[in-house]
Amino acid sequence: MQTIEHPDRIIRELEKHNYVADEELATALFLLVKLQKPLLLEGPPGVGKTEAALVLSQLLDTELIRLQCYEGLDVNAAVYEWNYQKQLLSIKLQEGSDRSIEEKEKHIFNHDFLLKRPLLQSILAESKAPVLLLDELDRSDEEFEAYLLELLSAFQISIPEMGTLKATFKPYVVLTSNRTRELSDALKRRCLYHWIDYPDLAKEMAIVKKRLPGIEPKLLEQVVGFVQQFRLRKLSKTPGVSETIDWAESLMALGYREINSAGFDQTLGSILKSIEDIQQIKSEGIQAFS
Amino acid sequence: MKKQAFETKSITESIVAFAQFARGHGLNVGIQETQDALQALKGPMLTQRSLFKSALKTIFCASPEDRRLFDQLFVLFWDTNPTDLRERKNKTKIQGTFENKANPSLVMLGRGKTEADAEAGKNVSGANETERLKTTDFSKINEIDADPLDAIAQKLFQEMALRLRRRKKENRKNGPVSLRKTIRRSIGYGGEPIDLFRKAQRPKKQRLIVLLDVSGSMDKYSFYLLRFVCALREHFRQMEAFIFSTSLIKISKMLQSGRLDLVLSVISRQADNWSGGTKIGECLQTFHEKHGKQTLNGSPIVLILSDGLDTGDPNLLGQVLFNIQKRARKVIWLNPLKGMKGYEPLAGGMQAALPWLDVFQSAHNLESLLELENMLGDA
Repeated sequence: MQTIEHPDRIIRELEKHNYVADEELATALFLLVKLQKPLLLEGPPGVGKTEAALVLSQLLDTELIRLQCYEGLDVNAAVYEWNYQKQLLSIKLQEGSDRSIEEKEKHIFNHDFLLKRPLLQSILAESKAPVLLLDELDRSDEEFEAYLLELLSAFQISIPEMGTLKATFKPYVVLTSNRTRELSDALKRRCLYHWIDYPDLAKEMAIVKKRLPGIEPKLLEQVVGFVQQFRLRKLSKTPGVSETIDWAESLMALGYREINSAGFDQTLGSILKSIEDIQQIKSEGIQAFS
Repeated sequence: MKKQAFETKSITESIVAFAQFARGHGLNVGIQETQDALQALKGPMLTQRSLFKSALKTIFCASPEDRRLFDQLFVLFWDTNPTDLRERKNKTKIQGTFENKANPSLVMLGRGKTEADAEAGKNVSGANETERLKTTDFSKINEIDADPLDAIAQKLFQEMALRLRRRKKENRKNGPVSLRKTIRRSIGYGGEPIDLFRKAQRPKKQRLIVLLDVSGSMDKYSFYLLRFVCALREHFRQMEAFIFSTSLIKISKMLQSGRLDLVLSVISRQADNWSGGTKIGECLQTFHEKHGKQTLNGSPIVLILSDGLDTGDPNLLGQVLFNIQKRARKVIWLNPLKGMKGYEPLAGGMQAALPWLDVFQSAHNLESLLELENMLGDA
C-alpha cells in the first residue's frame, strides 16, 4: 500500500497485523509517513515501542533495518567500515602493476570494499524507502546522538574517502527510548514525539486476545486484571505488556483454564523479574488480587 | 497573554497563534514545528477534534511533562469562550513556567558572622594567605576573607576539573591498532603497513550523582559546596545534581545552563521550611523512587554532601542507602562536621548510614574538597 490518507486507515491496518493501537499512536505514525520526519517513541519497557516499528514496516510493505543501540556504539558499527582484509589483499595483488598510487587508492576505496552497516544501508536503499529503527537510543553515548543529527535532518552520510552520500528514498525513522537518560534537545527537536504508556484494562485485554486467540475468556480476564493491579504496587520492575503475554502463554502451556493459587505461584516468574517482587506478591497471595 | 482561538479569523491564523501560545507557556515550539503543524493539518485531520489534538501533540511535545502541559494548554486555547473569559482571567496561571528573573535573596549563604567566629578564623595558622584560606573551616570565615576565598575556591575547583579531564587524555598511547588509519597511510609505501596507528582509547564515561544537603544546619557550607558541584559539572558531563532539605529538588538543568543564581533562589525559597528539619532518609527515598530508574544505571558514583543531622527515621536512611549502594559503583559521603576535632559519627542518621558508604570524608575546607579529586579520578 502506498498512500495512506487518514489515521483511521492506520489503525485498521495495524489491527490486521495484530497490533492494537489507539488514535494518538496512529496519528503519530501517520504524521511520520506524511511529514517524513523521524518519530521518537518513549515509554516504559515492554509496551510495544519496537513492535510499532516492526508493524509499520509490514504495513508499508518495506524492509525493516534495525540498529540496536548500546553504550560505546560507534560509527564503525553503526554506519560503515572498510573491509580491511580485502583492501590489504587487493594492495598485494596490485603490487608490481604499473598503476599510479592515486589509482590504487581510488581502487581500494570504492563500493566493493565498503561494509554497509544499518545506517548506511537505510540511506542506500534502491527501490523503496525502508523503515529504520534505532532501538533504545538512550543507551548510546551523547556523541552518537550528535552524529545522528546530520542523518536525521538531511538524510545524508559523509564518508571522507568517498564524499557525501544522499538518500534517494528517505527512510522512515523510528527511534525508541526507555528514558534511562534524557535525550538531547537538539535531537528531540528534529523528531515527532509520542509517549506510549501502559494500556488500560480493555486495551490490554484486546492486545492479549489478538496475540493469543485461543485463550479462555476467564483466564484472559484474570491475567490482565492481575497485571493491572501489579502495576499499582511498588515493584522494582513493573511488568509490561509483553510480560502479560508471556504469563498468559505460560499458563496456557501448563493447561490452566483459569488461575488458581497453585498456578499463580508456579508461574509468577514469567511476569515478575525480581526475587523481591515475587516474594512481595506471593506473600500477598492470589486472594489479594481477585 | 497571547490571543486565543476565538480572536483569530482563519484556521491557519489560529494554529500559528496556538503555536505562539504554547511557546509562551514553556513548550519548545519553533518555526519548524509551526510549519509542520500547518502541513500536517491539511485535509481530514481538521475535521475530527481528537485527531487534530493528537497531531498537534505529536509535533509540539518532547517529553511526558510536555504532554501533560499540552493538554492544559489545548483546552485553554481552543475552548475559551469570550463570555467566560473574565472570570477565568486570573486563574490561567500554568504551572511549569519558570520565573527567570527571580531575585536571589540569599546569594551569599552563611555570610555575616559574629565576632567570635571571626576570631576563631584568624587563629588558624598557615604559611601564607592562600594556604591559610585553604585550610580554614568554611563555617569560620569572616566578612573580609569571604571574597578572596571565593576567588581561590573558584580557581582551584576549575584547575581540578581540568586535571581530571587531562588525566584521561594522556592515557591514549596503547589502544588497539587502528586498521583504517594504518592502511590509509600504508598506501604511500605501496601497501606495506610500516607505521602502526593506534585507536584512541575511549575514556569510560563516568556518571556522577550529587545529592547536596541545603538544610539550615548546612547553611554555612552550602554555598561553597554548590560551587564545588558546579566545578564537578565541568568534568562530569553526565552529572545529575539534586538538593534536599525537607524535600528533594533536581537542579541538573539549572547547573547545565550555568544559572547558579537560579539554584540559589530555589534554595532561598526553600529556606522557609528550615524549621522542619532535614529528612535525609525520606529525601533519599524520593530520589531512589522517582529518579532511581533514570539515574542509577551504568553504575554511577553517588556523592552525598550532608552533615547527617537527620530528624527522620534513621532506619529508613540505612535501608535506602543500601538500595542505592547496590546500584552504584561507589557511595561517597562528605560530611563537613567530620573536620571538627573530636567528631564522632554518632548522630542517629550517620550511624545508620555508615555501613553502606565506600568513602566517608570531611568537607569543611577547600583542601578536604580537593582531596576528592583523587577518589573521583581513580574511580
